[in-house]
Amino acid sequence: MIDLVHFQLASAALFSIGIYGVLARRSSILVLMSIELMLNAVNVNLIGYSSFTDFGMDHRILGQIFVIFIITVAAAEFALAVAIILRLYRNLSTVNIDEISSLKG
Amino acid sequence: MLGIAWSLSWVLPALNLIAFLGALATYRIKKGIVAAGFSLVAIFAAFVVFWFLVSEVLENGFLSDQMTWFQIAETKIIFGFYVDRLTLLLLGLITFVALIVQVYSFGYMKKEPRFGWFFTVNAFFVASMLALVLADNLLFLYFAWELVGLGSYLLIGFWYERRSAAEAAKKAFITTRIGDVALLIGIIVLFKSTGTFQISTIIDYAQSGLIGSETILIASILIFLGAMGKSAQVPFHVWLPDAMEGPTPVSALIHAATMVVAGVYLVTRMLPLFEISSTTMWVVTIVGMSSFLLAACMAMVMHDIKRVLAYSTISHLGLMMFALGCGAASAAVVHLLAHGVGKAILFLCSGNVSHSLDGETNLMKMGGLLKKLPLTAVLFLIGSISLAGIFPLAGFFSKDEIISGVLDGRGWFFVGVLLIGTVLSSLYLARLWILVFFKNSQYQTEVQHQPNVFMKIPLIVLAIPTVVFGISLAQFNNSFFGLHAWFIEYSQHHFNFLIAILSTLAALLGVFIAWVMIFRKFSENHLMMITFKRIEHILIRKFFFDDFYQFVIDKIILIVANMVALLDRKLVNDILVDGLPKLVYSIGRIVRVFQSGQISHYAFAMIFFASLIFAGWWLLVTNT
Repeated sequence: MIDLVHFQLASAALFSIGIYGVLARRSSILVLMSIELMLNAVNVNLIGYSSFTDFGMDHRILGQIFVIFIITVAAAEFALAVAIILRLYRNLSTVNIDEISSLKG
Repeated sequence: MLGIAWSLSWVLPALNLIAFLGALATYRIKKGIVAAGFSLVAIFAAFVVFWFLVSEVLENGFLSDQMTWFQIAETKIIFGFYVDRLTLLLLGLITFVALIVQVYSFGYMKKEPRFGWFFTVNAFFVASMLALVLADNLLFLYFAWELVGLGSYLLIGFWYERRSAAEAAKKAFITTRIGDVALLIGIIVLFKSTGTFQISTIIDYAQSGLIGSETILIASILIFLGAMGKSAQVPFHVWLPDAMEGPTPVSALIHAATMVVAGVYLVTRMLPLFEISSTTMWVVTIVGMSSFLLAACMAMVMHDIKRVLAYSTISHLGLMMFALGCGAASAAVVHLLAHGVGKAILFLCSGNVSHSLDGETNLMKMGGLLKKLPLTAVLFLIGSISLAGIFPLAGFFSKDEIISGVLDGRGWFFVGVLLIGTVLSSLYLARLWILVFFKNSQYQTEVQHQPNVFMKIPLIVLAIPTVVFGISLAQFNNSFFGLHAWFIEYSQHHFNFLIAILSTLAALLGVFIAWVMIFRKFSENHLMMITFKRIEHILIRKFFFDDFYQFVIDKIILIVANMVALLDRKLVNDILVDGLPKLVYSIGRIVRVFQSGQISHYAFAMIFFASLIFAGWWLLVTNT
């Protein structure tokens, strides 16, 4: 039987992997992917909580609908981010985050 | 009554204002002839309208009309004109002298490159001067007062290429400005305690005791300070002699006959207020008296013909203030007229003299001009006799009026002072006339140009009132023209033979002394000559007034200014203006260390602090 706690654990695991990726990865594409992981951790959480509340059946489905919306929006957002990274690559000929440091004080 | 009255009193300054605007638009065209035409036509029309106004006022006693300019809550700011007999007298003097002077200038300034500009500013000046005497409230009076000051500034600095003229204009403007500030404060003090600027209302309130006596004292002293600045009373007199840098017609119009009497006019107008405070009256008396004597002394030793006349003007303005301080308003105003006309003659004659001698104004280089410029010499003599107070010209009667007024108001001591002043004033005028026209000079005085017709006719016209005015004043209380009773509403004094004889003797004594001093040769070592030299030294240095002001400016004001400048540089500039960015910069230098530019560092900081906040929140929630 899958409980709420399983959802939470899966979500936490995904989130931690995401944080690790954001902090440790050098390639901006991979950083972006890690951010997506964190986003999906939230989605998992959302689905879990919506299934284990004591709303009526038709209200429980609401969380899953939300998640679909979120995924759609995230996809659009991702496309945008990739476009930015492409511009970055055009200008600096690199996607390595350590080398993109023009804002250094 | 009010309809026509309104339009008439309003017409006088409006005509000149229109002329000013017209002249302003055209003063570059055709060498300024058009602008001069505007100005001349306007002043002539104003002079004609003045006579209609006279008949109107004589019928009704006074005219007044007002309109509300704007209103803030209960306070109405009113734009209004008030014409009574005092106003009429001044309007007559202003329009008459301005007309004469402008016709004269037409000849005198003929070769001037800025001919048109001269008439433009003249029209401006006349318009604001007329507004000044017509204004029925202090606020408008103050506006006109400042505009008149501006006109004076522009005309003194007419030859602004000359450094001395530019300096003199600046000096006149700044010196009178000190008085103007006091005047403005005085007006505000009165407004604060009465809630109105209307002169008549303020005087009513003051007379019915609605204004506190301290307020009246303060306000009247402040207003008097303004009058002192404009009328060049000691110690604000220093600007007037320097103002002689302007063209001679300007000196005649502004710095002898009209603008400088604005202060006397103001004091006369506010005299009911001044009279409430005996302290103020004493201040007016003392200031007037000291100006009268000091300026007369200085006039005796000046070497510049126009400067002698300038000091004489200060002296006579002092005499008017003196009379006002003794409560003899009618005498002061009569003397104002007599002096205005007489001094205009003297100035215009001196203009003729220096015009003939190619701009020479040094007395010592003139002499024997009686034969070369006979008309000018005779007219100058008429003006001098009038101002020296010798029978039967205008000055004699007005001075007698003043002496009897002083006798009634203050007693014999002050009459004695006045007689000494009379001796001095006839002395310097006699010296002036003898040196310029009579005594042969060791210098060759070749007359280069004879005065043209524009410079002769106005002078003759100007001499008429000097003679006729005197005679008509002689009919003191009956009504041969009845000039005296006709114009003046204030107290009247009776003709006093003793005083008349004393003042005539004093004046003749002055002439005698001048004669002796010029023609009797004393040896250099004669005790009298040594004393004279000492006195002359002090007088030539003008009682050290200018030196003292220079000292004050150099030592005290400049030191204070330097200290303030230092404060500005160190505190405002270095600490506040430059210090602030420096502070931001140094904070920035510390903070920039944390800006590595590495996104992962930022992300780490973000996550770390977010977790910290979350942990804190968590602890808080679980503990409560």
